[in-house]
Amino acid sequence: MTAPLISLRNVGKWFKDGRVVALEDITLDIAPREFVSLVGPSGCGKTTLLRLMNGLLQPDTGTVLVRGEAPTPNSDLAMVFQSARLLPWRSVLGNIEFVLALRGLSRTARRERSLGLLGAVGLRDFAEAFPHELSGGMQQRVGLARALAVEPDVLLMDEPFAALDAMTRETLRAELLKLWARRGTAIVFVTHDIDEAIFLSQRIVLLRPRPGAIETTLTVDLPEPRWETDPRADPRFAALRADLWNRIHAMSRDGAELEELAYAFDPGTTKGI
Amino acid sequence: MSDSNTETARPIHDSTARAAKARTRKRVLLWSSWIGITLLLLVSMEVLNAVAGKLVMPSPVDVVREGVGMTLDGTIPRALGQSLTVLVLGYLLAAVTGIGIGIFLGGLPFAGRVFDPFVNAMNSTPGAAFIPLIIVWFGLYTEAKIVVVWNAALFPILINTAAGIASANRDLTEMAQSFGAGRWSLFWQVMVPDALPSILSGLRIGAAISTVGTVIAELTMAQSGLGGLLVAAGNRFQMDKYFAVVFVLMALGTAITASLRYAERRLGRWRVSMSEDH
Ligand SMILES: Nc1ncnc2c1ncn2[C@@H]1O[C@H](COP(=O)(O)OP(=O)(O)OP(=O)(O)O)[C@@H](O)[C@H]1O
Ligand SMILES: [Mg+2]
Repeated sequence: MTAPLISLRNVGKWFKDGRVVALEDITLDIAPREFVSLVGPSGCGKTTLLRLMNGLLQPDTGTVLVRGEAPTPNSDLAMVFQSARLLPWRSVLGNIEFVLALRGLSRTARRERSLGLLGAVGLRDFAEAFPHELSGGMQQRVGLARALAVEPDVLLMDEPFAALDAMTRETLRAELLKLWARRGTAIVFVTHDIDEAIFLSQRIVLLRPRPGAIETTLTVDLPEPRWETDPRADPRFAALRADLWNRIHAMSRDGAELEELAYAFDPGTTKGI
Repeated sequence: MSDSNTETARPIHDSTARAAKARTRKRVLLWSSWIGITLLLLVSMEVLNAVAGKLVMPSPVDVVREGVGMTLDGTIPRALGQSLTVLVLGYLLAAVTGIGIGIFLGGLPFAGRVFDPFVNAMNSTPGAAFIPLIIVWFGLYTEAKIVVVWNAALFPILINTAAGIASANRDLTEMAQSFGAGRWSLFWQVMVPDALPSILSGLRIGAAISTVGTVIAELTMAQSGLGGLLVAAGNRFQMDKYFAVVFVLMALGTAITASLRYAERRLGRWRVSMSEDH
């Protein structure tokens, strides 16, 4: 067994002097090159977990280690957000060069690598465009290219496709899987969409809310590569899906809360939470 | 030749040609309304002049004659030069100090909170209230007038700058931090550019106030510049001269606002709300 890339031990995190317990007793390892999805209802602490992993937040209990050290935003992790979060006053190229400048690359190295990554996400012709001239899907591609530009060992992705239309989402999922297979970065992927989680990941971590904790972890045993044939036709896909659904339903006996959960997990709802 | 093409081309060209034609029609309508209203105002001036006499309202013809005369004999150019000196120096001083202090107060939240009540108190006091003090401290001449303009324009610029930085987009700052931006680059490369639209609108408000401040200073302190000409003409009931100066001030204010709007559009061209099609 390889040493974990990210290792969380009994991690707890609270806000407002302990009045909001966001996460409690989270123990989780992420291996190199692994694709792990975090799913769970709104407010169960998924974003908080990502922030803990890249050192934007410090845990209140337990330890978070990345390659055996406490993470700082300078370690080899990179974030992709639900909205692309591009600097609107910089060109597409300028946005990627911005993060490379933060890592201290020389001007020529920045330019070269940025152009290469724009090529990788199919946006080389848009290098000089400004973000508002791009569609949502293209902006999200830039966000992905920017994260890949720092050559991270781990990509932390917080519902990156949630705000996109179904068609674009489908394309980007396949592209992400190809990039992942080629580059061998580990990916921690937050989503509300069970199908998306099964389609993309090797392992699914289901979280439960109030306080946020790990409900269960499931291994996704579907053939690779998944972008060539649609794994949704596989009976194992349906079985996993049913399993996850049952667990989500079992998570709460309270009818009202169940409805809320079901709503949060309905892939048909476009959410802007 | 391209004209005949668009006339006979396929529907898609047809519709763009139609849109262009509609735009032209709108522009013609706009300009003819402006010219019409101006003519109407001039005619009303003329009528009022005929009915009530030139003490109440000068004839536009006399106004133009006086305006040309005062321009040719150097009166207006000299006054304009004096006014512009006060206005430009006072405004530049306000812009530099306002943006500087605003960046400081916006970037250091604690300092911002400490100074907030004082800045607000100063900002809520009418600029004219400080004129006697400025006269005592700086006298009656150009330096003092520059201080009046600076004092009037400083606070809108300062407050807009500080507010723009303090309310920087949290999503963008978190993004930059997650990529390892330190305080320095976070501030100068994310928060300050993000505040640029706010800074620019502060500069535009400051410019408008500077014009007011200049004329008030020239009216109330040692008379000079365009404000001085206003008083001189008014005191002697030379309404034609008076109106000639008023029109010059109008043109000056419009030119300043227009050029700042232009600068705002140039610098903010990345903003969606300011894209070409406006
Ligand atoms: N900065 C903060 N201050 C106070 N409470 C916070 C803060 N950040 C998160 N929380 C709380 O912690 C809990 C988990 O929040 P988090 O954003 O991690 O949830 P999430 O799983 O990402 O939800 P969503 O699916 O809606 O994005 C919530 O109850 C939230 O109110
Ligand atoms: Mg979240």
